[in-house]
Amino acid sequence: MQEELSTLVARAASELPQVRTRPEFEAAKARYVGPNGDLTRLMKQMGAVPKEERPAAGRAVNEAKARLQEQFDAALRRLTEAELAAELGPPVDPTLPSPDPGPGTYHPLTLVREEMCRILRKVGFAVADGPEVETEFYCFDALNTPADHPARDTQDTFYFPSAARFGNVTKKTAGEKYLLRTHTSSVQIRTMLQSPPPIRIVSPGRVYRRDTTDATHSANFHQLECLSVDRGVTVRDLKALLDYIFTALLGPGTKTRFRPHYFSYTEPSFEVDLSARHLPKVNKEWIEIGGCGMVDPAVFTAVGYDPAIWTGYAFGMGLERLAMLLYGIDDIRYFYQNDLRFLRQFA
Amino acid sequence: MKISLNWLQEYVTLDAPVEEITRAITFLGFEVEGVQVTGAPALEKVFVGEVRTREKHPNADKLSICQVDLGPAGGVKTIVCGAQNYQVGDRVPVALAGAVLPGNFTIKQSKIRGQLSDGMMCSARELGAGDDAGGLLILSSRPEIGLPINAVLPPGDTVFDIEITPNRPDCLCHLGVARELAAWFSKDLKYPEARSASGEPEPAEASAGLPGGVRVDAPDDCPLYSAHVVSGVKIGPSPGWMQARLKAAGLRPINNVVDVGNYVMLEYGQPLHAFDARRLGGGRIIVRHAADGEKIRTLDGVDRTLNRRMLVIADGEKPVVIAGIMGGENSGVSDDTTDLVLECAIFRPGAIRWTSRQLGLSSDSSYRYERGVDPHCAAEAAARALDLIMATAGGRVVGPAFTVGGDVPWKREIVLSTGFVRERLGFDIPDKAMKAALEALELPVIREEAGPGPGMTLTVSIPSWRNDLDRPIDLVEEILRLHGTEKIPPAAVAAPGLPGEDDPVVRFNRRATDYLVGHDFHECSNVTLRSAREVAAWVSATAAQELNLANPFVEDQSHLRPTLIIGLLESLKLNQSRGVAVSRLAEVGRIFIERDGLIHECAAAAFIAAVDPARRWLKREPVDFYAVKHHVEALAGMAGVDLASEPLAPLVGGSQGWQEGHSAEAGLAEKGWTARFGLLNLSLVRALGVEGKVYGGLFAILPERLKSGAPRRRYADFSLFPPVLRDLALVAEEAVPAARVRSDLERIAREACSAAQAPAAAAFVLESLELFDVYRGQGLPEGRKSLAFSFAFRAADRTLTDSEVNAVLQRIQEGIAAGTPYQVRK
Repeated sequence: MQEELSTLVARAASELPQVRTRPEFEAAKARYVGPNGDLTRLMKQMGAVPKEERPAAGRAVNEAKARLQEQFDAALRRLTEAELAAELGPPVDPTLPSPDPGPGTYHPLTLVREEMCRILRKVGFAVADGPEVETEFYCFDALNTPADHPARDTQDTFYFPSAARFGNVTKKTAGEKYLLRTHTSSVQIRTMLQSPPPIRIVSPGRVYRRDTTDATHSANFHQLECLSVDRGVTVRDLKALLDYIFTALLGPGTKTRFRPHYFSYTEPSFEVDLSARHLPKVNKEWIEIGGCGMVDPAVFTAVGYDPAIWTGYAFGMGLERLAMLLYGIDDIRYFYQNDLRFLRQFA
Repeated sequence: MKISLNWLQEYVTLDAPVEEITRAITFLGFEVEGVQVTGAPALEKVFVGEVRTREKHPNADKLSICQVDLGPAGGVKTIVCGAQNYQVGDRVPVALAGAVLPGNFTIKQSKIRGQLSDGMMCSARELGAGDDAGGLLILSSRPEIGLPINAVLPPGDTVFDIEITPNRPDCLCHLGVARELAAWFSKDLKYPEARSASGEPEPAEASAGLPGGVRVDAPDDCPLYSAHVVSGVKIGPSPGWMQARLKAAGLRPINNVVDVGNYVMLEYGQPLHAFDARRLGGGRIIVRHAADGEKIRTLDGVDRTLNRRMLVIADGEKPVVIAGIMGGENSGVSDDTTDLVLECAIFRPGAIRWTSRQLGLSSDSSYRYERGVDPHCAAEAAARALDLIMATAGGRVVGPAFTVGGDVPWKREIVLSTGFVRERLGFDIPDKAMKAALEALELPVIREEAGPGPGMTLTVSIPSWRNDLDRPIDLVEEILRLHGTEKIPPAAVAAPGLPGEDDPVVRFNRRATDYLVGHDFHECSNVTLRSAREVAAWVSATAAQELNLANPFVEDQSHLRPTLIIGLLESLKLNQSRGVAVSRLAEVGRIFIERDGLIHECAAAAFIAAVDPARRWLKREPVDFYAVKHHVEALAGMAGVDLASEPLAPLVGGSQGWQEGHSAEAGLAEKGWTARFGLLNLSLVRALGVEGKVYGGLFAILPERLKSGAPRRRYADFSLFPPVLRDLALVAEEAVPAARVRSDLERIAREACSAAQAPAAAAFVLESLELFDVYRGQGLPEGRKSLAFSFAFRAADRTLTDSEVNAVLQRIQEGIAAGTPYQVRK
């Protein structure tokens, strides 16, 4: 019996490594440990073994069984590995390029806009939105623009025919004309008319000027404006905001300065210069970056805020101009051509 | 506007360097667009020399070797010179070794082509004394040899090109700017002396001047008109000093009378006009509106047709001036003029602006009138002009002035508390400094009282030229200007929390952009304005009629865009034509949709996908209809629209931009959103010159529909037991849309579920119904298709048994047989 067991184990050791498939394996396994298997048969013979030899025979059978199980496990492991390898196929060449086009890219104006919005959201400004088609009230009247101000002229502003009717752009008065907004300040007016102070909003958006398209002018471009209205807002707060914005955008050491200026909707008004030595393609110490000021009391009156209680500031700038400065782009038309060689540079 | 430093010095002593003055102007609130230094700077070692001999340079065709006599300044020197415009005997500027010419050019003794040169003979440009670089500056007045050149050349000037903001018409003249600088530098301002106003004019002669007098028919548009008669003038050139100043300010000298008018305008800001008295028909002046169609040939030689809103100055017969804008050819001063009528008037700014725009004609005069001229300064300016006319052209004032209107008194006071100033500024300026700033700007403080609080209350008198100052806040700006905006102290941003959230449109735009870029699209930005032709071709003829601007600037940008697709295709084409491989472009922005005569501004996201033009080592599935459908569904989902549950309609005629049979739309104006997607119209795409098929998708929604906002979602319980899956294929007519088959099947299945289960406790549901196969061909009759669906049933409280599910499936099959035209495919 001992001998038979050893032969059995030896046979298995030579047979099982030859097994190539699971059915072959199952068949082979059955030949040893199946109901009619050789080991099973030997174990059935245990009853015939003399009593005194039984412990030894038992040990031998167990020993053989364990050996066989090792063989089976090894064979199964080998089979599983082979199956996996077959499923995986040959290894990849990781250096081949991905055949999928991409990645997608954000437009530089989006990148700059979102960066500015992130900076402003940190100091409590929510992003506001409003229509690009506006009326004279929201674009001019409420912003204290005199009735005969040149900005309202048809030479500078796009108007719609008096017959044009817009379903979702509200008019303040029936007689006023529709136009394409010349600045995003109209969003400030709509926001103030809608919600009571205090408010803090940033309104980025597309604006329109009736102008020749060239390297620095485009019929439509983008602005970003901030408005803060609260009790006791001061000129110093406005300067603090500008310093914060440009330090956040360009890093510590960035400086801003105010130059007195005139806008009908702010008083006092300033133009904002930025210290720009570290920007690409700039070789001046200061460059103009936007306009700002304390909200004119007339604007508050127009939207029903009491200027005796509320004060505020507003700041506005051109996003194209900012993007041109940040990235060193020298022609505004590139923003609207969408040449992929341009778009891919900023993502 | 151009401001001459020499001229300013007339009124205020400015001893600061030019850089400091430039800074002062800047921080007073006027942008300095340029600083031009004219005339010769102070030059050392540059003298008058006379050319004694001139011989050709032995080694250079274009050079000469000259002996130049500098007299006491250095005797005879040898100079190699390349200029050609001089002759022996000419006197010219000579720079000797050690001279430093503008541009930091140091003159040295040097060898030029082997010949020693002791210095350089100079052109006007080289000396910084003019623009002429064409040759040597020939000193034709033959100044003494050896004189330093600065004794010969006219003195230099510095001209600031300043942008005057529209609220400050008082600074459209030298006196106004001088007033600001005097305040900044704490200097006194000296006004010119105008004597004529107090002088005694001669009595009028019946024949001279304006026997017909002045009549103003339009007093609203002309609140003040005065006419002075000057007799016996002699027209000629104005004096050199006046010409120099006019030139510095950018005006061309004409003759003494015209130049005086311009000079006084640039001094006081008051435009003036001089007529030849003989040429005023009827010897009279009438200020009136033009008749419709009335004509005048203006000084620039152009015939202009006027209308009844335009103000003119007329004589007894014809218009002679377009009021405040430009004179006519027929009445101006000419060389033989002896008697003048000098006009000094005030016109309503709006009237001048309107006429100027209508005629496309502006002038230095109209520029000032449009912005507002101080009526209380007119008499002084007129007196100054009369003085200067008599000084430069002779003559005498005849009779009293004819003056109509103008008697509007001026008094304005602003009560300002210094506490208010501090409150608005957010930092401290001492009361005394505030008061000093105001007074420096000629805003006298006429009363001071203590309080409120620790501050003071100042009553400030506002002069007539500062019509822009009306409220305390206006004076805050004045004080801050003089204090210096560079001194605003730094601070931290005060940001108390506010509950405001970003606008829903902003959030939609951001999510849509993130999605599209995340799916390998390149975000584009195209202009909003398109041409009528494009709008008609890509959307509809109606849109082309409704979306137009009243005043487009260029023809191909005359309409609002009704879709983003046109722009994206243009970008696609641009890249293709530049040889840049491109396939996926997207844009997020506003579009304008016309429905039933109403235009709606919509937030929109769109994309196009062309077949990837690049050759790839591994093939990928090309883009198809269902790929773009997926993206549009995703975009709609961001706006809260479940596109899968919306009826989709194939796009047919009337939607020219899309290919019939390969595109679809959902939503309508009533729903407040629209989705369109599929294959772009092939022939239109081809006509654009774009190669290959292009798929696209657009989702647009009314901003206010986004604003309505979705309520916060509520969690729904879900089953932890396994589903039971069953498949069923239905055969349907080819023309029947899959969605209809599916919805029929779903209805029947739901009915079967609820009918099969009597006790509510044993309920189970159809959890999902997915279409997983579409088959046509062998085994199916012609014109039919098989749609295979997979059901998933699940109960909340138990594992379902086969038998209960089979019972439901049995009912479903019965329901289909009984209630639909479909057959179950075995």
